[in-house]
Amino acid sequence: MTATVESQRSKALKRAGLTALTFLLMVVMCVPGLWVVLSAFRPNAEILAKPPVWIPQNPTFDNFRKIFGLGTDQVAIPVGSYFMNSLIIALTSTAIALMIGMAGGYAFARYRFRGKGGIFLGLMLFRAVPGIALSLPVFIIWSKMGIIDTKLGLIIVYVSLNVPFTIWLIDGFFRQIPLSLSEAAQVDGCTRWQAYWKIEFPLARSGIAAAGVFAFLTSWNEFALASQLTRSTTSKTLPVGLLDFTAQFTIDWAGMCAMAVIIIVPALILTFLVQKHLIAGLTFGGVKG
Amino acid sequence: MAEITLDKVVKKYGGLDVVHGIDLQIAHEEFVVLVGPSGCGKSTTLRMIAGLEDISGGLVKIGDRVVNDLPPRKRNISMVFQNYALYPHMNVRENLGFGLKIAGEATASIVKRVDEAAEILGLTPLLDRTPAELSGGQRQRVAMGRAIVRRPDVFLFDEPLSNLDAKLRGQMRAEIKKLHQKVRTTVVYVTHDQVEAMTLADRIVVMRDGRIEQVGSPMDVFNHPRTTFVATFIGSPPMNLLPATISGGAVRLADGTAVPIPDRLSDRVHEGRRVTLGIRPDDISPVGHGLSQDGPGAEVEMEVELAEPLGMESLIYTRLAGQEVQAKLYGPRLVQPGERLSFRMALDRAHLFDAETGRSVRED
Amino acid sequence: MPFWRRESAIPYLLLLPALAIMALVVAFPLIFSLYTSFTGYRLVRPDSLYDWVGLRNYSRILQDYDFWVAFGRTVLFLTVVLNVEFLLGLGIALLINRITWGQRTLRTIMMFPMMFSPILVGFQFKFMFNDNIGIVNNALQSLGLSDGAIAWLVDGKLAFFSIAFAEVWMSTSVFAILLLAGLFAMPRDPLEAAKVDGCNAWQTFRHITLPFLMPFAYIAMAIRSLDVARAYDIVTVMTDGGPAGRTELLWTLIARVGYDNSRMGLANAMAYVSTILSILFTWYFYRKLVAARRYMGGAQ
Ligand SMILES: Nc1ncnc2c1ncn2[C@@H]1O[C@H](COP(=O)(O)OP(=O)(O)OP(=O)(O)O)[C@@H](O)[C@H]1O
Ligand SMILES: [Mg+2]
Repeated sequence: MTATVESQRSKALKRAGLTALTFLLMVVMCVPGLWVVLSAFRPNAEILAKPPVWIPQNPTFDNFRKIFGLGTDQVAIPVGSYFMNSLIIALTSTAIALMIGMAGGYAFARYRFRGKGGIFLGLMLFRAVPGIALSLPVFIIWSKMGIIDTKLGLIIVYVSLNVPFTIWLIDGFFRQIPLSLSEAAQVDGCTRWQAYWKIEFPLARSGIAAAGVFAFLTSWNEFALASQLTRSTTSKTLPVGLLDFTAQFTIDWAGMCAMAVIIIVPALILTFLVQKHLIAGLTFGGVKG
Repeated sequence: MAEITLDKVVKKYGGLDVVHGIDLQIAHEEFVVLVGPSGCGKSTTLRMIAGLEDISGGLVKIGDRVVNDLPPRKRNISMVFQNYALYPHMNVRENLGFGLKIAGEATASIVKRVDEAAEILGLTPLLDRTPAELSGGQRQRVAMGRAIVRRPDVFLFDEPLSNLDAKLRGQMRAEIKKLHQKVRTTVVYVTHDQVEAMTLADRIVVMRDGRIEQVGSPMDVFNHPRTTFVATFIGSPPMNLLPATISGGAVRLADGTAVPIPDRLSDRVHEGRRVTLGIRPDDISPVGHGLSQDGPGAEVEMEVELAEPLGMESLIYTRLAGQEVQAKLYGPRLVQPGERLSFRMALDRAHLFDAETGRSVRED
Repeated sequence: MPFWRRESAIPYLLLLPALAIMALVVAFPLIFSLYTSFTGYRLVRPDSLYDWVGLRNYSRILQDYDFWVAFGRTVLFLTVVLNVEFLLGLGIALLINRITWGQRTLRTIMMFPMMFSPILVGFQFKFMFNDNIGIVNNALQSLGLSDGAIAWLVDGKLAFFSIAFAEVWMSTSVFAILLLAGLFAMPRDPLEAAKVDGCNAWQTFRHITLPFLMPFAYIAMAIRSLDVARAYDIVTVMTDGGPAGRTELLWTLIARVGYDNSRMGLANAMAYVSTILSILFTWYFYRKLVAARRYMGGAQ
């Protein structure tokens, strides 16, 4: 009797210990990221301090002010333009990739056709071409076409970068919706088109949103292609702009950390909004052929 | 008026034929059940009537329109799916009214008709729930409500009860029957459960391997199976089949046991013909414990191998001429394995099938 | 009826935009770069685009010691990071799967590194591994574990380690998340059956859990191999292939030859080799995935 109480208690204790350990582990895992975020709010002196100052002693927004060129005499980096460029390029390419991906994903999920497996694999393999390898010919061709160093040039590239994976995800989401729902709607008087918009699309909507977030993040974070295809403030994106903080021998760590925060925050918010669907889409698309 | 005509309807998947030219006439307001083992093409046939599957050959007519090339929405049908296919993002009210809304009905009339349908099916208190908040039986009812609310010419059901437990299935079966009496529409109903077929149908269509094996009223199919396949498929437990030969004016089983030829079949068989004797378990009983004591019969002694008491009756497994035979004992008497009993076969309801073709000798 | 009006044309029509953009932005450039790899094209001399040199670029690659070192290092890098990521991800997934309280929060925290841009990850670790102001050295010194400043990014081996560390930090979550999803999807019956059959914890894991998880591992591998080349960003920032080319991966080498030395023809030949390498990796895991899926049996 007491023995079972005893063993139950030790079990509960073990479980609590395990939970605490896991939490600790996860927090430690986040430290590198958090360190950069914390540093964004420190004055330069604290960043360079030795021994390190763990918790910011006097948090400040100076670093942000500085990179936007407010209040100091330092030459500003056009973070505002970079931010807008990134936003425009990522949003536009995501929207286009989503439209193309919705059509393609639906085709894979709902139709049998010749060459299906081959086309799917082909799309994925195209996606596997390393960005830097692709950038060489694209650089030359885009120069000839006159769309090098333009937002348009980058948007087109990012659409193609995102289409395969968007198709993979959306295919998975449509598969989760039983075919008989669309059939029921057609018996109920819908055309296939109506059945799509009134039944299948609303049910896949959150999944499609997740695919959109994924595409957005890919574009938002991309560096290899952007660093070669953009040059000027009219088209440079945030990841490329990050290099502005490196001079020949020195790096402006404070400014860089502040800019890092600017890049991370939108990504952070978006990911947390759709994380559940993201996981579902990733696994479902893969496991069920 | 909505009679349905299938004229040599064929379905092929690539090179594979799954429905081989079906001919079938379904009358206005008739309740027809397609029944058959798994994979025999019932669903495919139903879906061709619905327009969810292309028709590879032949004609499908609803009323006097050929509907081969019409999409489902133009056929004025409704369908209840096996997994109900309720729209998960709509509540019950919206599910019921969806078809009317698509058709452009006025809101007032949608409300009225949805309420009526809900009333008929006892769904009124559930109207604001979503499908996820309903039990299996309630979902089933919503699916039926969605079908009747549009007042179609034809109802199609594809195994609507197969996801329910046995008790609920019985209840819903009765409800479907009542519903049909109320709304009187032509119904095509697919099932592989012969009890459903027997209880619901005006006419049963027994299918096998993409062909129609027999069409007839439930009692007709039960009493006059045209083939051994129908004989074993309809009726539970299935009919006993014993290989035999006609010899010396009697049906002689493999071990030499002689059984008189049933009177009504005596002019159908000739000496030396190889046949299969078919007799339902209900018609083999220990002497004194059967359904009927008079009429032509034969008595054989057999040993009980296993007895399953079912309350007022028992199912007995025995052996005759080397074959397992099932028999029924009526009355609350318990028998033990190993007991030897004298059984009476009621021959007025026995069947003879040709040993080669499996067809009833009445068909010759 | 013309082809595009037929029912059977619908899937192709739906896929047309996708195929068109892939053709325009990937297939066509790849063909172009294949052509370029047979020329002595230099960015600074546009007419050299028509300077056909046959297989000279490829034969130069074959004899190029630096290239093969970078190639070998890239394969080593991929093998190491993918395996470490898999093992760590599996560990994390198993751990989180056992937690009942706060599991959702843990899952969210776990995804934190996933949303970092690779270039940011590079900077972040360059910041942390900095021999002078980096937190790693600072921490080691204040804990008394080392007395001098360790030159993490200057010593060749340490730099390779640092880069691999950054890469693993960034991508372990992908494995953890997908394997965790696999654990959630795992049916309970086989586990219980195994317990009844007398398997111990390790045997159950080895013979039931792990085989069930493998398709999920392959999905993760396939997804990861699609963008392993993002490690280019990290390396560029952290060491830029240095010191003295000792962290040079294929991708940084390509960028150097193509853009810095403007020898596009040669760079394209190298790019082709790296493209084929990536495609082989992806294809391999995709095949594994398909096979594992079939093996998982009937469940489509
Ligand atoms: N898309 C398809 N491609 C190829 N063959 C198919 C396809 N759909 C069905 N079949 C085949 O057609 C035959 C008839 O299928 P159908 O679904 O009509 O059977 P069923 O009588 O409804 O069986 P169940 O009782 O199991 O539902 C089966 O043998 C099946 O394998
Ligand atoms: Mg069926």
